[in-house]
Amino acid sequence: MEDLNMWLEFPVFASIAIACWLAASGLFFTSGKKLMNDLAAALSLAGILVLLIFVVNLWMHIHRPPMRTLGETRLWYAIFLSGIGLVSYLRWKYKWLVSYSLGLAILFLIINLQHPETYDKTLMPALQSPWFIPHVIVYIFAYAMLGASSVVALRNLFFVPTEKTVKGPIQMADNLVYIGFSFLTFGLLFGALWAKEAWGHYWTWDPKETWAFITWMFYLIYIHYRYRHPMEHKKAMGVLAIAFLVLLICWFGVNYLPSAQNSVHVYSE
Amino acid sequence: MINESKRKTWAHPWSYREGTIITATILVLGFIIQAAGNGVILRFAGFPWNLLAGFLFVALLIIAFVLWQKHPVVKGLGGVKVALPAILGFTLLVLLMGFVKQDVEPQSTIARLFGLAHLVHTWPFILINVYLLVLLGIVTLKRFTPFNLKNAGFFLNHFGLFLVLFSTALGSSDMQRLSMNCYEKQTESRGIDASGKMVEVPFTIELIKFNIDEFRPKVTVIDNQSGQIIEEKGKSPLEMLDRNAFDLINYHIEVEQFLETSVKAGDGYVATNEPGSATSAKVKVTDTKSKSEVTGWICSGSFALQPEQLKLSGHYSLVMLPAEPRKFSSELNIRAKGGKSTTTTIEVNRPFKTDGWTIYQLGYDKVMGRWSKLSVLELVRDPWLPVVYFGIFLMMGGAAFLFITGKPKNGGSEHVA
Ligand code: HEM
Repeated sequence: MEDLNMWLEFPVFASIAIACWLAASGLFFTSGKKLMNDLAAALSLAGILVLLIFVVNLWMHIHRPPMRTLGETRLWYAIFLSGIGLVSYLRWKYKWLVSYSLGLAILFLIINLQHPETYDKTLMPALQSPWFIPHVIVYIFAYAMLGASSVVALRNLFFVPTEKTVKGPIQMADNLVYIGFSFLTFGLLFGALWAKEAWGHYWTWDPKETWAFITWMFYLIYIHYRYRHPMEHKKAMGVLAIAFLVLLICWFGVNYLPSAQNSVHVYSE
Repeated sequence: MINESKRKTWAHPWSYREGTIITATILVLGFIIQAAGNGVILRFAGFPWNLLAGFLFVALLIIAFVLWQKHPVVKGLGGVKVALPAILGFTLLVLLMGFVKQDVEPQSTIARLFGLAHLVHTWPFILINVYLLVLLGIVTLKRFTPFNLKNAGFFLNHFGLFLVLFSTALGSSDMQRLSMNCYEKQTESRGIDASGKMVEVPFTIELIKFNIDEFRPKVTVIDNQSGQIIEEKGKSPLEMLDRNAFDLINYHIEVEQFLETSVKAGDGYVATNEPGSATSAKVKVTDTKSKSEVTGWICSGSFALQPEQLKLSGHYSLVMLPAEPRKFSSELNIRAKGGKSTTTTIEVNRPFKTDGWTIYQLGYDKVMGRWSKLSVLELVRDPWLPVVYFGIFLMMGGAAFLFITGKPKNGGSEHVA
């Protein structure tokens, strides 16, 4: 009973993670030394681990996967975003990307600190399915990847002076989009298979499904556009920025749309 | 390369201009036909006509491709510059669905005339789907001949989507969805479809027993005037147990007695398990600010029992919310026309398949709650499902390809039409 509200301890975990990430970003920016960069990477990792410990604890305390409320999904977003930032740093050595990702992850933690979600142990029967976890994890991973890709897009749109210097970063955006889009496709298809199992139909054009589909279509447009016009970098980045806007509507905005009353997908807050 | 702005419209090679004109024409034409038909909602013909139409479509597509694959029109239709406006046009239709509430009686004449509240069943939606199928068919054939294993990912993505769109469109008319009311100890073999028509299924279902397992009811504080739950940041309505204590807003609550199932007796409650019994608790509530104390009973209520709340002050009351179902299931005996009989238990997310039908747990009598003798089942027959699933699995394969191989290194320049 007393420990039901794991979220009371969230500020402690979040503060540690935020402190680690701020220090990491500071080190990445101020120092060029290898040792300092390694230390920054280690600090980023420490922050991620602290959050992971919190999530695992939370999961055990509420006896259901913590993937239902907006607050819980923000938590995963913070973890994946920082994780992707770190991995892409280790892989491609883009310091600005890891700092951006950590910054975004911190933002999500701060939103959570300001809006502690209500915690609800109950899970309606339709959500008690083996499909639930893969469906949500895959989606959040996709969102995190695509989120990172739009960070790259914004940077390319506003901070890269010429078409020439954009070449390297744009490949990074493509990599992130391809990975994110393949996960988005899996999320969509898992959702369809699950819906068939739970409700008897794989696709009912429920508002959340509709918006998930629209999001998918916009990234599809980006992929085809990039394929046909490999040299039109700025326009491609514009498409990517719009696609992310649609993704945000799908994620946050659907609850507020007139078309979305009584959707099973609307996050409970 | 020809100067794009000087090229005459419809001169080859086609570009965005032609692609946009075709897509726009299809959409506008679609809405005009829809309006001309006075907003009638479309249904495809069922078996065998849909199967026939499907065969015809694929055959024509292949013949046209074989005959004219070198023709600039087919080349144009197989290019990205025609594909992109088509994808965008479809996206715009779906965006419309994202803003207008679907499957309700349309509010305005415009919405009714253009079928905006049932877009999936309108001419523009169906026409743009057919157009996308033509484009997908052509690119698939184009990359399939000559065969090259390098195109596997491309094939899986495009042909997979082709199959999914194709089979869901054609199969929609063969799909049957019935809702069936089963009462305990009775048999039933008829369901009601969406139009309210009674349909006989080739087996009978006897509901042996309906079971509900509920979460413990939660307690919360409400505003006496509005009846709204008072939200406390970071906390949800709490569960209670016997002899525990907890804090809610500025109240300290001690549970003196907790009865999982009970009925009212005099001023209090007694434990019993008879139909209509509900959860109740005797609590002592201390206002931590004013130090005033109230003691009394609260009860979640049932079809036979009034819920009881405890007044804390002129403004607030403590209430026990109705219990939410954790799980509900039906024990069924299903007897086929041939005489074979099976006993099984279905629940949400765990349907049962028999004779080409899938039986889903849909609902129960909400008023009776835990004591419901009624189980509402949904029966679905969807003969095209294997084709849809095959398409879905191809698309999953395609998605795996995208993940593993990533973007083509040369940016696709070698295939540019
Ligand atoms: C909505 C209908 C679609 C149409 C009309 C379409 C059309 C096309 C066309 C015309 C091309 C260029 C082919 C060439 O020049 O040989 C292309 C390439 C491509 N399409 Fe699509 N496509 C559609 C859906 C999809 C989907 C669902 C995916 C992925 C899940 C996808 C992924 C790709 C990729 C990755 C390429 C680049 C070619 C390659 O990787 O080899 N497309 N598409």
